[in-house]
Amino acid sequence: MDTPSDLRYTSDHEWVRIEGDVATIGITDYAQDALGDVVFVQLPSAGSTVKATASISEVESTKSVSDIYAPLSGEVIEVNEALEADPSVLNSDAYGKGWIFKVRISDPSEISTLLSASDYEDLLGKS
Amino acid sequence: MAPFGGWEMPISYASGTIAEHMACRATAAMFDVSHLGTVVLETGNAFDDLQRTLTNDLGKIAPGRTQYTHLLNRDGGVVDDIIIWWVSENNIQVMPNASNTDGVLNALNGGRDITNERAIIAVQGPTARSAVSKVAPDVVRIKRRTVAEIQCAGVNCTVAGTGYTGEDGVELAVPAGDAPRVWDSLLEAGVTPAGLGARDTLRLEAGLPLHGHELGPTISPLEAGLGWVVAWDKAQFVGREALQSQRENGVQRTLVGVATVGRRPPRDGATIEVNGEQVGIVTSGNYSPVLGHGIALGFVAPQKTTGPCEIRVRDTVLSGSFVPLPFVAHRG
Repeated sequence: MDTPSDLRYTSDHEWVRIEGDVATIGITDYAQDALGDVVFVQLPSAGSTVKATASISEVESTKSVSDIYAPLSGEVIEVNEALEADPSVLNSDAYGKGWIFKVRISDPSEISTLLSASDYEDLLGKS
Repeated sequence: MAPFGGWEMPISYASGTIAEHMACRATAAMFDVSHLGTVVLETGNAFDDLQRTLTNDLGKIAPGRTQYTHLLNRDGGVVDDIIIWWVSENNIQVMPNASNTDGVLNALNGGRDITNERAIIAVQGPTARSAVSKVAPDVVRIKRRTVAEIQCAGVNCTVAGTGYTGEDGVELAVPAGDAPRVWDSLLEAGVTPAGLGARDTLRLEAGLPLHGHELGPTISPLEAGLGWVVAWDKAQFVGREALQSQRENGVQRTLVGVATVGRRPPRDGATIEVNGEQVGIVTSGNYSPVLGHGIALGFVAPQKTTGPCEIRVRDTVLSGSFVPLPFVAHRG
């Protein structure tokens, strides 16, 4: 499984790329592999406010549905609308074109609750 | 891999469910369906026993032919849906679903369970026959709904023109020890391996029922739209009285197809609504790779089977409409 070292992670198998006060969020390589072919992503609403750990999106594959949780609190400033036409990029490019939404971080102290790449790999090793 | 009726089955292979699904529609895919049971009846009483027990009329076929049929309970519910391979005069193979083999053995007062002695490889799709012919030239003899013993990759196999995808194709019963070699030679012939995930989306597009969803002990063949499986000409089969009464009084629900707008898959257990009022429930649903939108099978009150409807998945409402089955035309 690919786990880029410059990203942060959650135990719910989301990745977080932090650039300034903006966090870009998607699902990990492990998550996309476990889900199988993704056929639908319910995007959060741009402009909405989210709280860390709240369920804000759903990803559906041919075999199951999975909740996406907000890793950090803040305002959703952008969603990846290209996923509406082609959600399969979550499988083919989970850390790139498969990003789901961006949040303007309202509480930077929450960042310390996220996992490092090596923490996340340890978590996968145990599961 | 996932547990399935006591078997470990792959949900998908490396290419993924949708690529496997599309390979079956465009070229050829193969499925390991060894989990289907095989009970062989070899006595002279077998024909009469089956006629007295199962819904369809075996008298309509002959050795060398196959038939889809049902085993019902006394209430007219479907204990199992079954394919019969009538291989030769005294070799009738009864093939139930994975977990129902013991129940079928009991209902038939015997028979030899050879499930563990053979593997079954279903090769399906528009180029399935030409691919199989590279390892089994005699496959040209196996027409739709026929069955015969032929050589595949040098091994004696029982091969039938049957399947569960809506495509043309064959199913090969291979001695278990030779199965890897036959599988590998089909792989070399260009057939795409496909898992349970694609098997389910293919049969759903083809509008074919799955036991435990559209069929079950509390669902009759008449409700499931499979009246053609019931041979009313026969004086006896298990469940005939209850089914006769249902036939005379009308069914309380009927199986329908619903097409939904957008890619979101409708799911088993979601409610089907018309003008905000619940009229039924989804029994199987998914995204259709061929059509590019959601499709669902479900049961509704018989008077609510045309026009627009909605499917409520948790707190989301998918707009849709009742459509004729199958969703994707059969080519087999």
